[in-house]
Amino acid sequence: MSYKQYIPLVVTVGQVAIFPYYIIWLKGVSLTFSLFAWFFAAFSFSAAWGYQMYQSKKDKNNIHISFIYIGMGIVYIITGFIKTTFENLPYIVLLLQIILGVLQGYFRAWHSGQKAYYLQVVHHYLIVGFMMIGLSFVKVISPAVFIAVFGFLLCGCGFLSLVKKTS
Amino acid sequence: MQKIKDLFKKTWFLGCLVIIFATSVLWNIPIEKRKYGLSESSLVTDYTGLLPERVVRVVKAADRQELQKIAKQANESGQRISVAGLQHSQGGHTYYKDGVVLDMRTYNRILEINELQKTVRVEAGATWEDVQDAILPYGLALKVTQSQSIFTIGGSLSVNGHGRDIRFGPMAGTVKEMTLLTPTGEIKRLTSRGDSEEWMKYVLGGYGLFGVILDVTLELTDNDIYTIHTEKLKTEEYESYFNNLMKDDNAAMHYARVSVAPSSFLDEMYVIDYNHTGKQDRSTSLKGEQGVRLSKLALDLGRHGGGMEDLFWRAQKKYIASIDKKEITRNNAMRSESTFMEFTKPGRVEVLQEYFVPVHSYEEYIKDLKKLLSADDKNDDFKVHNITVRYAAKDNLTSLNYAKEDMLGLVVLIQHGLKEKEIAEATAIIRDWTDLTLKYDGTYYLPYYRYQTKEQFKASYPDWEKFRTEKLKRDSNEVFQNLFYDHYIK
Ligand SMILES: Cc1cc2nc3c(=O)[nH]c(=O)nc-3n(C[C@H](O)[C@H](O)[C@H](O)COP(=O)(O)OP(=O)(O)OC[C@H]3O[C@@H](n4cnc5c(N)ncnc54)[C@H](O)[C@@H]3O)c2cc1C
Repeated sequence: MSYKQYIPLVVTVGQVAIFPYYIIWLKGVSLTFSLFAWFFAAFSFSAAWGYQMYQSKKDKNNIHISFIYIGMGIVYIITGFIKTTFENLPYIVLLLQIILGVLQGYFRAWHSGQKAYYLQVVHHYLIVGFMMIGLSFVKVISPAVFIAVFGFLLCGCGFLSLVKKTS
Repeated sequence: MQKIKDLFKKTWFLGCLVIIFATSVLWNIPIEKRKYGLSESSLVTDYTGLLPERVVRVVKAADRQELQKIAKQANESGQRISVAGLQHSQGGHTYYKDGVVLDMRTYNRILEINELQKTVRVEAGATWEDVQDAILPYGLALKVTQSQSIFTIGGSLSVNGHGRDIRFGPMAGTVKEMTLLTPTGEIKRLTSRGDSEEWMKYVLGGYGLFGVILDVTLELTDNDIYTIHTEKLKTEEYESYFNNLMKDDNAAMHYARVSVAPSSFLDEMYVIDYNHTGKQDRSTSLKGEQGVRLSKLALDLGRHGGGMEDLFWRAQKKYIASIDKKEITRNNAMRSESTFMEFTKPGRVEVLQEYFVPVHSYEEYIKDLKKLLSADDKNDDFKVHNITVRYAAKDNLTSLNYAKEDMLGLVVLIQHGLKEKEIAEATAIIRDWTDLTLKYDGTYYLPYYRYQTKEQFKASYPDWEKFRTEKLKRDSNEVFQNLFYDHYIK
């Protein structure tokens, strides 16, 4: 498999593995269940929007998936490092949810059109299963730390695919 | 159907959906975001979160037999019990290290409304709002509450709260009967007239240290309709204004606000009176929180201090002038907004303090206070955001009474940082303020955070030793405890 096939795998596995940490963080920000649910709704609507954006693209080959990775990475890094008053946090989080949703939807649409998609899905489920067992033994330092690390990883993937593409 | 399906395939449509949804979420993000309260898995705190502590168990109060069992067992085993209402008290009054907390919020039924005698019997975990909801259709209203209706009956009676009413005396005086679970696990039915053992004297204003108030019968009055009268005054005019108001039978409720804005600091005031119209009401519904976001925005501006605080004061004056001559029901005058006060900034806290001074000392006291505080606290860590003035009538009914004569209470909203140095500085200013209050034969309110020294407590509440003796007599194993008791009285 080439880097082209590995990177989507890293992204999908990473997203699922980081999800529980992200949820814990989001729960802390939202406090009420309604707000928590609304954040998810915002994410889902945005993901549908992102998906459709890719689908309606005429030239599906000419896409900058590297920037999608970098964008997602930046959102996770911001989440990990955000230090603002609790009062303002929900407003920022709503924005982050929308950006993340759009990028995620776009990535998903692109990914499902890739040749290796089927294999990656199977692998991703298996890897996530083993990873989650492993992670359950790790004492959470702070969910934000894991989220930020994943953000850096995504940015790394983005830059790598960018460099490889241009070279 | 096909059209809808097609619509969902349009990028622009999904984009609009996201934007519309996000805008409505933005508008509905709740203002109340603070985490505080009871928890068995993490630390327990109250309204300000200043005194986190671990407790062993939180028991949701459901029936009196169970509560009785808990008290009896604790009396034998040495377990400590604290009682919690809505935890708006701020000095650890509702919990104790490794103790059991009785969460009274679930003990909240309205038991009986007697329209003829104008009374309501209610379980102590109910809020004033619950009571207002129940008595409104009968054209009845409460005699004394705080200015908001967000507190529990048990919590309010245990601090002997006070509010805008200037006619019915202390809150404790509105209790006709009470069912009490004593520290030894007995259930006693007490009446205000036949209370020869003086239980009520210690339970009311007793900070949950003399047992659990299970239910109370409260005296009610009519849900009168008032006209609001507002006026701007100079601080030195207030005393005589107030004395005249007390002589005017038409006046039922009153409060005032003193400027803390730099350009009129403690010089300007406005008063808000509620005057009888002779009309009563059975139909007007209870008002909800109105204009919360706008009030919060205004308060947030004021929180910056300096010119912004001047702007905030001007806005308040405008608003107050705009309600002049409007009509309001008694029930609605007793349920002001509170959510807009929410403040959540890491590393900072907003607390309340209240100082009481005899009515006749008010003018000189404010003059002296001016020397103590800085008029413009924009660059200070210790900031005063608001001072409301209330009347607290002389109280002979409770042991730890804050009104040994007719008093004016200054409710102060303060903000300060949480670094050691900042807390020390706030403590020093508040102690100086307390000393000044004591110089004028005043007191300070006990439900708030305990910045004061034990000496200041003793000077403010000279009856405290008797309070302790009675506590030990009635609760010899000291079953009922809280951090307030630990700090001041033990
Ligand atoms: C924003 C704000 C505004 C306020 N405004 C006013 C005001 O206008 N006037 C005024 O007087 N006060 C005011 N207060 C203070 C407030 O009235 C008290 O903090 C009151 O105790 C709050 O009720 P609670 O249900 O939160 O009681 P809690 O804080 O839960 O309890 C207070 C005390 O009562 C005891 N207690 C509670 N339930 C029972 C029970 N069933 N039996 C025995 N003991 C019990 C507790 O152990 C504790 O010692 C204000 C406080 C805040 C935060």
